Amino acid sequence: MLTKPQIHLASIFIKIFYRDRQSLFFSLLFPLIFTCIFLFSGGEPNPTKLGLVNQSLDALSFKFVELVKKEKTFLVKEGSESELKEELISADQTAVIIIPETFNQFPNPGKLRLLLDASQVRQVDAIKDSLKATLLSIERDIRNIEPMFSLQLEDVKSRPQRYIDFLLPGILAYMLMNLCIAGSGFNIVEYRRRGILKRLFVTPIQPKDFIISIVLARMFIILIQLSVILGLAIGLLKINIIGGLLPLYGVILFGAFIFLCVGFFLGSLAKTQESIRPLVLLFTFPQLILSGIFFPISSLPSFIQPVASGLPLSVIASTMRNISNDGAALFAINFNFLGIVFWIFFSFFIATKFFVWQKVAS
Amino acid sequence: MGIIKAVNLEKHYPSPDNPAKTFAAVNKISLNIQPKEIFGLLGPNGAGKTTTLEMLEGLTSIDKGNVFIDGVDVTKHPYEVKKIIGVQLQSNEYFDRLNLSELLILFANLYSKSIDPRFILAKVDLENKINAFPDDLSGGQKQRFSIACALVNNPKILFLDEPTTGLDPQAKRNLWNLAKDLNEEGMTIVLTTHNMEEAEYLCDRIAIMDKGSIIAQDTPQQLILDYAPEPNETPIHGNIEDVFLVLTGHGLRD
Repeated sequence: MLTKPQIHLASIFIKIFYRDRQSLFFSLLFPLIFTCIFLFSGGEPNPTKLGLVNQSLDALSFKFVELVKKEKTFLVKEGSESELKEELISADQTAVIIIPETFNQFPNPGKLRLLLDASQVRQVDAIKDSLKATLLSIERDIRNIEPMFSLQLEDVKSRPQRYIDFLLPGILAYMLMNLCIAGSGFNIVEYRRRGILKRLFVTPIQPKDFIISIVLARMFIILIQLSVILGLAIGLLKINIIGGLLPLYGVILFGAFIFLCVGFFLGSLAKTQESIRPLVLLFTFPQLILSGIFFPISSLPSFIQPVASGLPLSVIASTMRNISNDGAALFAINFNFLGIVFWIFFSFFIATKFFVWQKVAS
Repeated sequence: MGIIKAVNLEKHYPSPDNPAKTFAAVNKISLNIQPKEIFGLLGPNGAGKTTTLEMLEGLTSIDKGNVFIDGVDVTKHPYEVKKIIGVQLQSNEYFDRLNLSELLILFANLYSKSIDPRFILAKVDLENKINAFPDDLSGGQKQRFSIACALVNNPKILFLDEPTTGLDPQAKRNLWNLAKDLNEEGMTIVLTTHNMEEAEYLCDRIAIMDKGSIIAQDTPQQLILDYAPEPNETPIHGNIEDVFLVLTGHGLRD
């Protein structure tokens, strides 16, 4: 049950934030930038730039070129070998494919050459796979045979899945973590340095009252900030939250609680504003890599996956993604839900146990 | 029994020269402060005044000894003690973007009390600054506002930590009058100070501290009689500053 001092203090934190026009401006600026980036890119990764040199000038080679051009994942540019090679070196092309003069000489046609920038490892596999499929299709056409097996991709979850659908819940979770830690960790160091915490604690309020108040206020502020992003994503990027907004907001609230408490803990460890920054980076940066924000956790090395899955950002982002993309229930008992429950208790424990409101002894 | 009773208070900190060792910031201090008294803790820098005050207020943990405020054990019930005391701190920093009225209402709410901020500000002669922000106040006004914040719960005891440091003579005199007025209303006041004139003018009794211990404790008049040097050929009047220098030496402290 909330007390009168807790509620009043929370309302004061909201008032202070509302009156800080600079914070308000920047908190709304990021969602706008984020939405614009995806709005203009169509929410999908850019197509791979593929240079194409046709030395054959034969009908078959033209057919091959047409088929490659039809691939949506490629942005094809035709030209001479020397010209496209230069573009490949200057990173204006990701790969260059050269169709030899002997392309149509059966039974021993000349081999296609694929010039690559080896640093673009991720695209290389995709290019090779697409080209193999195209070659196979041409071969079938020449031999006049129907494919024995056909592969029709069907999404078992029966909904269109774009990269932005995968990315948005992770980005929301990552923003949630950063907003919370900035709202508690950085604030607490500053309040302590200026003696404001000491002024508060000459009154009968206890650390838990202060923590609950700032958590309430920040949750309110963060809900508004994330609602702006969600509103833009739903309205402009046509994101469909399959599980509904209510469970999604539930996870956001749980996540806010966890990360605010972690922020208090880090703020108590840090002696100065300078030392809080590396501490926060130490907590947030590994999670940006390991928590499946941009790529699924399953793409990480297998030995690190169990640890990565249990990180607070991982359990929050995964639960948000499950609700958003798959319509999962918030309180479904699974690994992520248990992870959230664990982090709620653990983070509140370390926040209150290690809370330091006086000057940190040097 | 006094409204504040401290018995053999001790506080130890790691030694700055050798962290493996400790030094006694407060060493077996006992106090018995009566209701409606103005009691001064006088001492050079590092004497242990603020540490003693913060132990009485429940802001600093007590290593050894006991403190009872109005019969309540500070160690066992620090939050009960905080309900009946008002504390003015040395630092005058507050949340940004809140005016004096909003800050007073905030502090009152932390005691679960409702107040009329105009009434409290009138007590410290700041009623015309009700919509001002702390940064807009002068040094003396800031100190008076700091006391206003300590009055929101109508405390029985008011603790003032070096309340006139850095103030000009007019602001200093104004603040002394405020302390006197509050005392006449029935408030017990405990203050720390470097200012001899302040101690002599305001305090009913003074404890002089040095190196963590109380080295003398009495009324200003009695301390002058006991310790001030006898007038020599050129008649000079002794004052409490003479007492202070005789007891703590003339050497500079940090």
